[in-house]
Amino acid sequence: MAEIKGYNMPDELFYHEEHSWAKVEGTRVTVGMTDMFQKEAGDIVFIDLPEEEDEVSQGETCGKIQSRKWIGKLVAPVSGEITEINEEMEEDTGLINTDPYGDGWILVIEAEDEDELQSELKNLIHGDAVRDFVDREIAKAEEEKAKAE
Amino acid sequence: MSEEWRLFKNLRRSVSTAEGLAVDDTLPQSVARNNSPPILHLYTFVPSVIVGKYQDIEAALRLERCKAHGIEFNRRSTGGGTVIMGPEIVALGLGINVDHPRLKKGVGGVFQSLSLVLLRALDKVGIEAYFQPKNDLEVNGRKIAGLSAASEADNCLLFHTSLLVDFDIALMTDIMNTPVIKLEDKGYNCFSQRMTTVRDELGRKVSVTEMIAAIQNSFEEEFSIRFKEDSPDEWEEKTIQGFIEERYTKDEWIFSHRHPRARMGVGQLKTKGGLLEIYLALSGASIESVLVTGDFFSTSEDLHRIENALKWTSARRENIENNIASVWHENMIYGVDVPTLTKAILLAKENQVRL
Repeated sequence: MAEIKGYNMPDELFYHEEHSWAKVEGTRVTVGMTDMFQKEAGDIVFIDLPEEEDEVSQGETCGKIQSRKWIGKLVAPVSGEITEINEEMEEDTGLINTDPYGDGWILVIEAEDEDELQSELKNLIHGDAVRDFVDREIAKAEEEKAKAE
Repeated sequence: MSEEWRLFKNLRRSVSTAEGLAVDDTLPQSVARNNSPPILHLYTFVPSVIVGKYQDIEAALRLERCKAHGIEFNRRSTGGGTVIMGPEIVALGLGINVDHPRLKKGVGGVFQSLSLVLLRALDKVGIEAYFQPKNDLEVNGRKIAGLSAASEADNCLLFHTSLLVDFDIALMTDIMNTPVIKLEDKGYNCFSQRMTTVRDELGRKVSVTEMIAAIQNSFEEEFSIRFKEDSPDEWEEKTIQGFIEERYTKDEWIFSHRHPRARMGVGQLKTKGGLLEIYLALSGASIESVLVTGDFFSTSEDLHRIENALKWTSARRENIENNIASVWHENMIYGVDVPTLTKAILLAKENQVRL
């Protein structure tokens, strides 16, 4: 587990700039939202999910997430077919807040081809780049704060 | 030279819900795909009631009463709860890129940026309001405007608000399916203690036109921009028409079932400070709204602060307790502490029934 500036960002995951994460096991990719997202968004009150068997492309908005009175996007980190949806979410979307990388997983995408998946993973944030990503996101917020003051 | 934004200002007539909401949905699309600068839409609706994107409309409204009053009902594409609209309520839609340099970052930041504009506008007409986290503007503990938003195409955002110039509380009570109906039976209208309007605050007849001008000027000052009054171009007209036909006149959209289960519960708890009576509206596992009533000693401002801290948050015990604690001060409710109030809310949760 890597904690970067107070945010839990596990090393083994791949991250999309829109804050979805991807856990890759062969061609099976589990998807959720980052700890940084849930801390910023606050309590998640609803998630509007796609259907199983839907096809999604990398970067496509495949769901909507409501927190407070804001509706945000769930962006597919990789392409493929949605093969599983976390049904627990129907009962308690708060799992995204309490356990974003565990019980708070959202869906599973099955990639069609391992080579294609590997090339898509290169578009995601991983390894050392994660620290820069978190720094960038924090800097954006701090810049604004400084401007406001 | 300052940046130029577009302004769609409609002072000629109040529009139908389908027309107003379709124009609003087009705003972020046009910024994302039609190369438009940010667009502000200021207008009024015909008498109507609009639910949030993920609300259960049949649970939120008494549709028969809406029809009897000739009130239109529809569903918007931004979050949050039910709002009443009409010719004396300013509707505001804004399409803007979230990365706009003048917009603060993050969910909280965006709401804060837009709140500053509205606070400035209220100040211009002589009302000292303040931002009540996380999404409301208040005057002396009473709500005068609410804000909601949705991330849309690319990095563009649709922001919605409504500002109450004048308001019919009796009508709201009649058409909304809330615990208020039960409170009304006791001759007590909780809305009147929790909401206010521009006219109530000023005691003079402020026109919608004056309020719209104040909002327009406040945007120009707050964002250091100037507006060009404009109307939808050909691409936008087509998009608006598409939203009217495919979304806002379709039962699948208006009566959408993509929402959490709506439930309501009442909890009563005798405490050292008096009887606590809690009316809780639940949306799935979250609190949509809560009313804290009873025969204890407190102020409406403090009660509203507690209720606000709980709106659209998780209904788990630890979240309820933490959210109350975040705004709590000593003797906020005389003779009642945070665990006791939490217990009363959890009692209401236990007693929940389907609407």
